Amino acid sequence: MRVVAGRADLGSAVRLARSEAQTAFGDGAIYFERQIVSPRHVEVQVLGDRDGRVLPFVERECSIQRRHQKLVEESPSVAIADETRAALAEAAARIARAAEYTNAGTLEFLLDASGRSYFLEMNARLQVEHPVTEAVTGVDLVQWQLRLALGERVSVPSAQALTPRGHAIECRVYAEDPDRGFLPSPGLVRHLAVPDGPGVRDDRGVTAGFTVPVYYDPLISKLIVWGETRRQAIARLTRALDEYRVVGVNTTLPFFRWLVRTPEFESGRFSTTFLDDTLADRPRGFSGVTDRDQQDAVAVAACAAWLRAHRAAADVPASAGAWRRTARVESLR
Amino acid sequence: VTFEIEIGGRLRMVSVEALPGAGRAGGRLRLMIHDRDAGRGAMPSVHEVDVTCTDLGLSLLYGDGRSVDAALTEQRGGEYLVQLATADLTVSVDGRRFRRGAGHTTASGPQRVTAPMPGRIVRVLVAPGDDVAAGQGLVVIEAMKMENQLTALTAGIVRELRVADGAPVESGQVLVVID
Repeated sequence: MRVVAGRADLGSAVRLARSEAQTAFGDGAIYFERQIVSPRHVEVQVLGDRDGRVLPFVERECSIQRRHQKLVEESPSVAIADETRAALAEAAARIARAAEYTNAGTLEFLLDASGRSYFLEMNARLQVEHPVTEAVTGVDLVQWQLRLALGERVSVPSAQALTPRGHAIECRVYAEDPDRGFLPSPGLVRHLAVPDGPGVRDDRGVTAGFTVPVYYDPLISKLIVWGETRRQAIARLTRALDEYRVVGVNTTLPFFRWLVRTPEFESGRFSTTFLDDTLADRPRGFSGVTDRDQQDAVAVAACAAWLRAHRAAADVPASAGAWRRTARVESLR
Repeated sequence: VTFEIEIGGRLRMVSVEALPGAGRAGGRLRLMIHDRDAGRGAMPSVHEVDVTCTDLGLSLLYGDGRSVDAALTEQRGGEYLVQLATADLTVSVDGRRFRRGAGHTTASGPQRVTAPMPGRIVRVLVAPGDDVAAGQGLVVIEAMKMENQLTALTAGIVRELRVADGAPVESGQVLVVID
């Protein structure tokens, strides 16, 4: 694949691509497609029934990703004007209708800087990020999956599905270490303190005592926050993230606490490359960056190391003799 | 006693002195923290803390009345995961160094890049004899439905390549040796 920025580069790029394709596949055929620079990822939830009715919902914005895996989703998207919303919803419904799709599903699009949208793929299932749509429309999508399976017709008014009430944001709490390139951090969840309060929902399949296994996607929970405005939702999210505690494993929480305080997130100006660009430029971690946190962690580790050594010394068996035991303890003074 | 404590490649020497009454359950300790990377002439900071053991870790009360409630979890490789109210820090005590990530200091000698988790090698990006730069990708390992690239901590030459594309690997298995 070659990126062509201007007319001058076209000839050489075509020759190179042809020769590479010929060498690799024995076929020099090539094709052209528009390169979308720094796109946003937006998607449209639909419900389709057996009568062929397809109901599209207000879009979800899922541009905060690492390695093409979503981390934060929200609805509505700040980048979409009302007329774009209607056009996107109609495009999604048309595709699903053409496929005679029944059940809940999602059509994914890329949105370029000028607001043009490009169809990406359809997910024929309920997605991880469906709660943000539920939060702004008041429609229970899981219940509708069951009702559609029973043969019911979609009876949600189209205006309810398409008109967002307030703003919702979801953060995926993964057992991953954001300071080590989001490497999985499996292990025992020793303690869990989950935030609540107005507009806060937490969907999880984990309790204290659960061991995050190494074999699957290490998702611990989904924190979903609703507010009357995006600003209020961010304020509530910030508070909820600060209260959330998962002890025993590294999680994406410190990253979210950093993210929600950045001007880019506050203004909603980000694309799918935001996180990878941020990681590439970032010399320090997301967590424990203040001197006070560092000092506290150093003090805690030093005290723990001292206590451990002290106990080991004190646990010298009585048969070892009082002199040796005293010597071990005294050596720690 | 003095401990060598490292966070994210930054090294501090901490002397711990027990004050009267300190014992296995905690008590008052005096800490002298010397930050080796703070530059020449930096004075060590001294803190007296009351230490109490909790279910999840330790609670520290500083002399100025500030308290810190920290969860402590010992991790693979002897590092501690120290979790403060809103920060998670990986801390190593007495030379149990970080093995991965950019910008961390390393011990000298050959660098043995190990699998951080069980998984499968999806791509090998280097060959024996290759010159690699610090931070350069070596192998891509797939685990938990995600691809993770393992990188060289320091520059060197690939001396040994012990895996091939598609090979399943166990946690801790040596994949590449760089010297």
